[in-house]
Amino acid sequence: MSRRRWPEVTAGTAALRAVAERGGLAIALVFYVLVVAVLAALWRAAVDSNGGEVAGYTVVAITWYAAMAEAVTVSLNQRMIREIGDDIGSGAVAVELLRPAPVLGVRVAGALGRTLPRLAACCAAGAVLGLVTAGVPERPAALALAVPSAVLAVACNIVAQHAFAGVAFWWRDAGSAWFLYQKLVFIVGGMLIPLEALPGWLEATARLLPFRAMAYAPARLAAGHVEPVLLLEQVAWLALLALAAGAVFRAGERRLQVVGG
Amino acid sequence: MRGLLATLRNAVAEARANRAAFASQVTIMVVNDIVWVLFWTLFFRRVGTVRGWDGDRILLLLAVITCGAGIALGVLANARRVGNMAVDGQLDGVLALPVPPLAHLLLRRVEPVNVGDFLFGVVLFAVVGSPTLGRAGVFVYVVACAATIVTSFLVLTGSLAFFAGRNEGGELGFHAMLLLGSYPVDIFAGAAKVVLYTVVPAAFVSTVPARLLEDFDLAGAAWLGAVAGAFAAAAWATFTLGLRRYTSGSVWTRA
Repeated sequence: MSRRRWPEVTAGTAALRAVAERGGLAIALVFYVLVVAVLAALWRAAVDSNGGEVAGYTVVAITWYAAMAEAVTVSLNQRMIREIGDDIGSGAVAVELLRPAPVLGVRVAGALGRTLPRLAACCAAGAVLGLVTAGVPERPAALALAVPSAVLAVACNIVAQHAFAGVAFWWRDAGSAWFLYQKLVFIVGGMLIPLEALPGWLEATARLLPFRAMAYAPARLAAGHVEPVLLLEQVAWLALLALAAGAVFRAGERRLQVVGG
Repeated sequence: MRGLLATLRNAVAEARANRAAFASQVTIMVVNDIVWVLFWTLFFRRVGTVRGWDGDRILLLLAVITCGAGIALGVLANARRVGNMAVDGQLDGVLALPVPPLAHLLLRRVEPVNVGDFLFGVVLFAVVGSPTLGRAGVFVYVVACAATIVTSFLVLTGSLAFFAGRNEGGELGFHAMLLLGSYPVDIFAGAAKVVLYTVVPAAFVSTVPARLLEDFDLAGAAWLGAVAGAFAAAAWATFTLGLRRYTSGSVWTRA
């Protein structure tokens, strides 16, 4: 691999592998449709029971919100933090230090490559589901912003998962970090519930945290809200998270202890 | 029967061998379930009542599904792995033993993380279920039925791998059952509702038991028991027929 071309080569190879694993892709897609159908049905029932609107979301808006929030989450490897932690804890990551490319960079590029084909498939299925069950969003132009926002969301998520998994350099296991992280994305990330529907204090807290860049931002845009500032926030969070993950991996690699051989 | 009890004792002892890991895994699942309580509390605080369901009713449903799934995935942990074992040819060990293969397989492995689900469900029922002797009896009955249906459904969909040679159906069945069972069936309408009472019987592992807990009637309880019996019979028949098509993978260690 050329020294300068490792990001695209790594991401491209991973993407080709993800596309080739048709069984896994099909399962992820069916699971995605199932999750969206359930969550959208729940929120639609709630909106119907509340005079046609909950926290500013109509039936159409909440359906698109659920479709996008799930697309950016389901398309990711759900056990990524745990797997990174296992590689670090077992010392397997030491082999990667021999490559003429940064460990973190190669891992992030590979994860992004694996995720993007799934994201594209989930977004396409979500769009069909949204159009068939709810209709066109109130401001379709917002969908143009939702597409780059979805890519930024999975990028933020992947980089943040690496930052969290880095605790394994010290604790030798990232199981608890994985668990905590997942729950934060569920609630304060807006995956299960729009931030506007949270109690005031929790909404205010969620707006200060990076997790909203991973689900809420693209979902809010897909729901028909033209708020380009969300994209800028995601870019800022991505930069901050990349700095944090880089710092964690640099410090961790310095103290890496390899067990066995 | 003694052989099966010994198998279960061994599985429990194996799971508890590392007590610290056992405790931490149980705790992780309990905290996971608390997040769902938080979600439902936030949801109903915002939207009030949805098609007859409110915060208290949904927590009863959560208590039933966590207990039922906790038994199916925790105590009978291999139920989820039947499909993979069939495809990979990992059943040689169990076929050589003088015990019923399916029963032995189901009791062979205990998964501590899902035992946490079961414990959480019991505590949740004690807290929100206004337990009396009668209600506790109904709770035990509906949880037993729910656990039977979840286990049977997992074995049934997993056993299809004997015929298909792949286990995507089993994996999908597992996710579909747990996902759909975690929500009240009344949020769905039309064909989707029919599916939840038939193809993926998620309604019988959460909504129907929760209704019986709130408003017990003998006919409903008998109907739930009959559904559990029918799924158990179907699972056993599919697994037994599937064994005829089983091909060894010369793997003796995991079954």
